[in-house]
Amino acid sequence: MKRLDTKYQVVVVGGGHAGLEAALISHKRGVKTLLVSMDKGAVGRTSCNPAIGGLAKGQMVKEVDVLGGIMGAFADQSTLQSKTLNTSKGRSVWSPRSQIDKNLYEKIAQLHTLDVGLDVYEGEVVGLDIKNNSVCGVVLKNNKKILCESAILTCGTFLNGLIHIGKKQIRAGRYNEKRSKGITEFLNSIGLSSGRLKTGTPPRIKRSSVDWTQGEKDLGDKKPKPLSYRTKNFNPKNEPCFAFRTKTETHDMILKNLSSSAMYSGKNMATGPRYCPSIEDKVYKFKNNPSHLLQLEPEWTKSEQIYVNGFSTSLSEDIQLKCLKTVDGLQNVEFIRPGYAIEYDFFHPSQLKNTLESKAVDGLFLAGQINGTSGYEEASSQGILAGINASCYILNEEPLVLKRDDAYIGVLIDDLILKDTNEPYRMFTSRAEYRLQLRSSNADQRLLKYSIKYNLLDKKTVEMLSKKIKKTQNMVNMLEKTSVKPAEINNRLILLGEKEIKESQKISNILKRPSVLIKDFNINNEKSEGLNSFLEDEVLFEAETIIKYSGYINRQKEEIDKIKIYEEMIIPKNFDYNQIKSLSNESREKFINIKPQTVGQAQRINGIRPTDISILLVYLRRPFHVKQI
Amino acid sequence: MAIVACSTPPGRSGLAVVRLSGKNSYKTIKTFIPNKTLKKKHLFPSLVELVDEKGEVFDQAVVTQYLSPNSYTGEDLVELSCHGNPIIVSKIIDLCLAAGASIAEPGEFTKRAYMNGKMDLSEAESVSSIIHAKSLAGVRSGIKNLKGSLSGSVYEIKKTIIGFVANLEFNLDISEDDLQPNLINNTLAEVKQQIHTLDTCIKNFKESQFFQEGASVVLAGPPNAGKSTLFNLLINKKHSIVTPEEGTTRDVVEKSLFIKQLPITLKDTAGIRGSQSEAERQGILKSKEEVLDADLVIMFDKKPKSSPTNHIYVFNKSDIAKTTDNYDIHISAKKNKKIQDLKNMIYKNLVGAFTPGEILLTSKRQLAAVCGASKHLKQAYALLKENNSLELVVEDLNLCISELDKITTKTTRDDILDSVFSSFCVGK
Repeated sequence: MKRLDTKYQVVVVGGGHAGLEAALISHKRGVKTLLVSMDKGAVGRTSCNPAIGGLAKGQMVKEVDVLGGIMGAFADQSTLQSKTLNTSKGRSVWSPRSQIDKNLYEKIAQLHTLDVGLDVYEGEVVGLDIKNNSVCGVVLKNNKKILCESAILTCGTFLNGLIHIGKKQIRAGRYNEKRSKGITEFLNSIGLSSGRLKTGTPPRIKRSSVDWTQGEKDLGDKKPKPLSYRTKNFNPKNEPCFAFRTKTETHDMILKNLSSSAMYSGKNMATGPRYCPSIEDKVYKFKNNPSHLLQLEPEWTKSEQIYVNGFSTSLSEDIQLKCLKTVDGLQNVEFIRPGYAIEYDFFHPSQLKNTLESKAVDGLFLAGQINGTSGYEEASSQGILAGINASCYILNEEPLVLKRDDAYIGVLIDDLILKDTNEPYRMFTSRAEYRLQLRSSNADQRLLKYSIKYNLLDKKTVEMLSKKIKKTQNMVNMLEKTSVKPAEINNRLILLGEKEIKESQKISNILKRPSVLIKDFNINNEKSEGLNSFLEDEVLFEAETIIKYSGYINRQKEEIDKIKIYEEMIIPKNFDYNQIKSLSNESREKFINIKPQTVGQAQRINGIRPTDISILLVYLRRPFHVKQI
Repeated sequence: MAIVACSTPPGRSGLAVVRLSGKNSYKTIKTFIPNKTLKKKHLFPSLVELVDEKGEVFDQAVVTQYLSPNSYTGEDLVELSCHGNPIIVSKIIDLCLAAGASIAEPGEFTKRAYMNGKMDLSEAESVSSIIHAKSLAGVRSGIKNLKGSLSGSVYEIKKTIIGFVANLEFNLDISEDDLQPNLINNTLAEVKQQIHTLDTCIKNFKESQFFQEGASVVLAGPPNAGKSTLFNLLINKKHSIVTPEEGTTRDVVEKSLFIKQLPITLKDTAGIRGSQSEAERQGILKSKEEVLDADLVIMFDKKPKSSPTNHIYVFNKSDIAKTTDNYDIHISAKKNKKIQDLKNMIYKNLVGAFTPGEILLTSKRQLAAVCGASKHLKQAYALLKENNSLELVVEDLNLCISELDKITTKTTRDDILDSVFSSFCVGK
């Protein structure tokens, strides 16, 4: 064990997805970093569903990957099956997702920390040592202190965690894991405000108790694609998931026993997410749906433990079991453990800057569920950013701020710091106004410049991705310059059900038609050395997409340029909103609470009207005119 | 700082109203109203004496105070009703300026009301359209918008479009299944309907502009065709000189009238012929210009094969002559025959089946927003039809919404997600 008198530069509290990314990237950047976890064996744990990626989340995993994160690579090494979702829809919403072996993921994560030499300490942090508004240490439960210059809190659901199973309440951070007490109280005492949120998880059942013949088998893609650019060989096992369906009997049973649900028993509980409702919510609020999907997913290779996706609940254990038994194929189902709801403390993220550093305390960063988000990918995204910025804080470098048109991570953080969360925040592609530009297939094009600037990736990966990006651009240029004659393409167009062309046209022009692809043209595309087949495929896919979306993306870029000036208009840190009498009380309160850093941020606060901004600009001695956004 | 301006038109009148707005309004008027009973009190009119620098009374006035935020501008506001003499008005304004007030820019009272959140942009525009409207119908549509009727109607359209977006977003963003089979077709039909609503709105604007600003109707044609006779008949006065001689009318004669609440500027012009007289030649040139600028031309001539839509071809003197040529209407101005039919025809040509009371846009800015919205909705329709990427469809629908946002309040991404969560059971 490490001696406690060692001084660290950065201490990360918590070893979940946020903490792990934060600690590893900070360590990688040469900053002396310590990860403190209450349970060394739980570092890298996936507490809920056995999957990484998915709609909007797959895009974030790829962004984290380009920024030097590990989530994508670890998922690739533990994939049970992999699938690209939404391929029947538009390209920018294609999202990769992998079912993973949770045990293996954890093991890889823990081995990796050893491999790279990251210090991990088992203990419970209960407070911070703060002098002159700056972090100078963390305080452990045994009253010992670890000196540091920056601390990153990633406490997940552990802060005053309270599990509900029917009327039963258990104080815990996860099932059978101790909760953490002290940090909330400490942060409250220095003036940071916290709230309570709720999330849930479904029961885990025994594989041997399910009649699998009743389920509908669901396999991964035939040509699976890895989540990480660094994965060269990707041949996942392709273990199946199985779909089962609830019946009216199930719904009747749930409605009859609603009073046994922690959430419906009339107790005042924290808000849970609308996008991930409990089964009792779904049945109660959408009475017209005759059946809901339950997806049974293995938690590791051929695991006896099965995850019942779609059955998150806080009903009492016996009712959960009774309800599940009404489902065809689950008549004899047995539990490994019941589903539960968990309430935990979070800190209103409007108290953070867009670097995830606290506005009140220098060197204090918060990332993950503690900021009111939900999801591994959301956590890991914040972790990587907090880790990079804590190391920038130490190294005295300009922090990394991602814009809304850079990355989903940028959208996530901008939303967090400007909105008041009343439910756990999950990413959706529709939250990103520049969704067309934030594709899972162009994370490298968007973010490689930052990886280079902050030295986040190894040299080989940087070279490989630079090569890929250049090849894509060359391909686009070629398609925009080269023309085809009617005779060369018309047969193909007829076959595709498209109109023929009458005279020679640029390939890019024809490519804009929805059903036409690059492969419909006779294009000589030589394989490049150092690019694997995944990357080669992505070059073609991206070149097509850039051309197909060019009209829309150019318009968005013009818009981004127009509003850029507002992003650059800084509002002084101690700006007194009380001097502006003509602001409505509601708007003034919002400004005072959130303290936007720029006029651009001020504009995006919910409920702020253009007139509020006009008035603000008058007081900031800026031109009165406000452009609509 | 307080601003001051005379709110009634310049010139002599029974009363004039001088208005001040701003934090120091009360302090400002106290410098020339020595009356001790005048207190800073909301909505309590008091009769006071106004005194100049030497302490001499120069007028009596009624002072009405509106205290912030319950005033037109949202600030403290004072209205002084004095006698309508320009000398008195300018004296009051001078005294206000001496006390530190400044002259209000045109529209500044309304601008302050907007800045203080007392009205949204479409309401502010309505104020200007009420002041400048030339007809009662125009005033009504302005007042209706001032009460938020325009924002309300646009909000309804916007809500429908947010519904489409929610439906598509659910499919793009949440459901991992393939598209619902009827999604595209249903959306197509509904989008088409909204395009129609917006386009009707745009058409209405052009017609309603005539209610706001009035339409110009020009009488033109060969000399001695009876243009001036008709002119006098329509305005109900002998205004234009009528003689049996050709070339009597040389200058453009104009007069206002209403046809069914529609304000019209009627213009009588010189008959068009080859003429020796320089004065008449000038008059004919002017006639031609008027015809080009007119909203509607009553042409005393037969209808050519292809004719502009804003021309009505009139055969006059139907009491004494007959014709086989093609005309839109046969009248007799002298005998007052078929004149009501002609009026109906003028009204119909200008404003069609328009009846004031539907969604009314009152400014070019609003028109531009609705035109933009319609354009993006049409683009979304085309993309849907060619089975193009759904996110592009959503992109155009979002652009359509942000155009409509310019007339109402801003739509946020959360509004869309709220709509998704309330209509779909989300989550596996």
